Amino acid sequence: MVSTQTPLEAAIFQGEPDWLREKRQRAFEMYTRLPMPSRTDEEWRRTDIAGLDPSAFLQFETYGDSDMGGGHDGVILEALTTEAATNHRDLLEPRLFSLARPERDRIAALHSALFTGGSFLYVPDGVVIDEPIIGRHRSRDRASLPHTVIVAGRGSKFNYLDEYIDEAGAEESYRTGSAEIFVGEGAEVGYVSVQKWGRGAWHFGDQRARVEKDGTLKLFNVTLGGRFSKNRVEASLVGPGATAELKAIYFASGEQFFDFHTLQDHQVGNTTSDLLFKGALQDTARTVYAGLIKIEKHAARSDAYQANRNLVLSDKAKATSIPMLEIDNNDVRCTHGATVGPVDPNHMFYLRSRGIPESTAKRMLIQGFFGQVLDRIPFEEARTLVETELEARLG
Amino acid sequence: MATAPKPIDVGSDYKEKYGFFVPEDYVFKAKRGLNPEIVKEISFMKGEPEWMTKFRLKSLEIFRKKPMPTWGADLSVIDFENIFYYLRASEKQSKTWEELPADIKKTYDRLGVPEAERKFLAGVSAQYESEVVYHSLQKELTAKGVIFLDTDSALREHPDLFREYFGTVIPPADNKFSALNSAVWSGGSFIYVPKGVRVDVPLQAYFRINAENMGQFERTLIICDEGSFVHYIEGCTAPIYTSDSLHSAVVEIIVKKDARCRYTTIQNWSTNVFNLVTKRAMAYQDATMEWVDGNLGSQITMKYPSVYLMEPGAKGDVLSIAFAGKGQHQDAGGKMIHVAPNTTSTITSKSISKAGGRTSYRGHIKMYPGANNSKSFVKCDALLLDDESRSDTYPYNDVDAENVTLGHEATVSKVSDEQLFYLMSRGIPRAEAETMIVNGFIEPFTKELPLEYAVELNRLIQLEMEGSVG
Repeated sequence: MVSTQTPLEAAIFQGEPDWLREKRQRAFEMYTRLPMPSRTDEEWRRTDIAGLDPSAFLQFETYGDSDMGGGHDGVILEALTTEAATNHRDLLEPRLFSLARPERDRIAALHSALFTGGSFLYVPDGVVIDEPIIGRHRSRDRASLPHTVIVAGRGSKFNYLDEYIDEAGAEESYRTGSAEIFVGEGAEVGYVSVQKWGRGAWHFGDQRARVEKDGTLKLFNVTLGGRFSKNRVEASLVGPGATAELKAIYFASGEQFFDFHTLQDHQVGNTTSDLLFKGALQDTARTVYAGLIKIEKHAARSDAYQANRNLVLSDKAKATSIPMLEIDNNDVRCTHGATVGPVDPNHMFYLRSRGIPESTAKRMLIQGFFGQVLDRIPFEEARTLVETELEARLG
Repeated sequence: MATAPKPIDVGSDYKEKYGFFVPEDYVFKAKRGLNPEIVKEISFMKGEPEWMTKFRLKSLEIFRKKPMPTWGADLSVIDFENIFYYLRASEKQSKTWEELPADIKKTYDRLGVPEAERKFLAGVSAQYESEVVYHSLQKELTAKGVIFLDTDSALREHPDLFREYFGTVIPPADNKFSALNSAVWSGGSFIYVPKGVRVDVPLQAYFRINAENMGQFERTLIICDEGSFVHYIEGCTAPIYTSDSLHSAVVEIIVKKDARCRYTTIQNWSTNVFNLVTKRAMAYQDATMEWVDGNLGSQITMKYPSVYLMEPGAKGDVLSIAFAGKGQHQDAGGKMIHVAPNTTSTITSKSISKAGGRTSYRGHIKMYPGANNSKSFVKCDALLLDDESRSDTYPYNDVDAENVTLGHEATVSKVSDEQLFYLMSRGIPRAEAETMIVNGFIEPFTKELPLEYAVELNRLIQLEMEGSVG
């Protein structure tokens, strides 16, 4: 069917239905046609991908599993490419890559063309699941491109965790981890992603949500791994009463580079969004945050908040923060703020004067910095996981 | 455009002006368009030294090579070939009072601008009575060693001082419009304040009215020597009518050790003008640079006054307001570039959008490696008066230095219902109450202005709020 197909591509396409293979093919054509993002593109201005050649990562694989305690009526939780694509084409086809669109740029096209599986979760109308659903994406090889599609029916309520685990070590690798989240009318979805790839990874993740009338999304992004990580976290509020809470914590050390782009897209009125990205940087790490609140013309009585706080722990770490607003309606409340700064010397002095050694004091201050936002992680399991991971990294 | 030099009409006063004579049968007509011949002609007409002619020609080449900026406002409608790049003063006053748009005349009436001043502002007359004031002031300044001239005269009268600083803060290659200005500049102010001298009276472009101080491509250069102080005021609150569609100025300021400079602008071009201005100051050890920048007029303004904090202890301040009414886009803000340690900066921006107008705050805080222990704070407040208008905030914050503190805050809101209710419950009509709230909103700006400007600005805001103009 495909003339440009390499044996490798054929291998990953194996066992997939035609519609999906064709979708991949179209995305792959886009990938070959689109130029590599360059520093003249606003979204990539501060992102250095000069050392990246995606075609160098020739072995694609993924080992994933997802689990859910107990059975629920009509709930579908299946492997994306092998099961869901065949069993639930009607539910999956119109949604897959409709939010995280391949035409956006070359990196997104590559992900759509060669994604290596992932999970599909469909929760029907009115179903409430108490225990969190956990998706684990493990990678043991050079390239891994998992994808998650979550569909929350009307009035459904559940929590989901995507955990990206590297078992390949620190060698140079290519990773993506994207999620498309459809929050139906009145549904309430908690979504947490924890990225802890190895220190040799290039990571690209697009998390995009669409929230309908009275729906609530609580998204929490945790970025810890990779040598390079670029995340786009975006929520479109398309029905009145829709709410999106977008939170993130990141801890960058060594030579890590993290880049975040966020969008709070208020398409209609009476919608609420609340964003808080908090990061700590040490050693020679660099982070970039660029976020936009967009309030469309008719989106009156919208309420949007956006904040980015950076705690710079070392002299050589660097943080860039660009919180942007585009407001097209006057009957709104929009506030944003950004800070970049070191540990407050008064706080340090307080702890030191009570006999606490400097390293412990610093650690306590970092824990305090993250503490406020950790409390907002929507469910216990994820909170415990993130606390443990942070603990291990603070050393 | 032919390659051979075109004949030139030198005008009857040419000999007095430039000191030499060219046969009269040459015909000079100002031509539209931009090419090396026109640039050479401008330089020749002004009798400039060779280095300046070369500087202009090189700048033109740079202008040709640079792409149009694609961020910010839509500039694609500017037709560079359809613009007069140099008009002699005599050609400028070809308009009559009757030709002026009615809304401009009405605004003059409402503001109570004196007749002579109106004619000057409208470009009908180039003479204005403040010349008398200017002469007595000039005497005082000369006694202190202060130089205050139009930029063309400064090049003739103080060539060495001029050449030492000209183009050092904003090189032609800085951006497309600074290159354009460098190629075709004309007029503007030149100020030199010697060591330790404080100029108590704000210097105003107004005083030097019959020089070409409000041209299309003016070029201003201010040098504050160590420990000196000067306050320069550009523009005025009353609308300035011009039929030129493009205004592209360059303002360079050097503030040396312990000196302080304040530069106040009230930009109120008529709403057909594209106002694309590059303003930058270099502040040295313990020096202070303050930009007080008000943008009320023009169709599109793109202007980001900046301060390069070059040595420890330097301080930069931008206080900016923007008002965008129907069809206007004010893309304004500020830039603070921290190069040295222990430098501080603040940017305060207030913007108001009305009747479909759009205001954008665009700012950049950059802390270079080595700019350790520096602090910067940015605050932007936007007021949207109706649901047709738009407000954007684009703050870029790059920190590459150690132990620095940087903060940014912004809010966008409408006129608060609580405030309106409070005023209206005391019997104040709604429109008046809204005007009071808007005036209160921009008060931090108004209170930094000299009294006569502040009064006029308040009156102008009142007019804009009534929707009776623009």
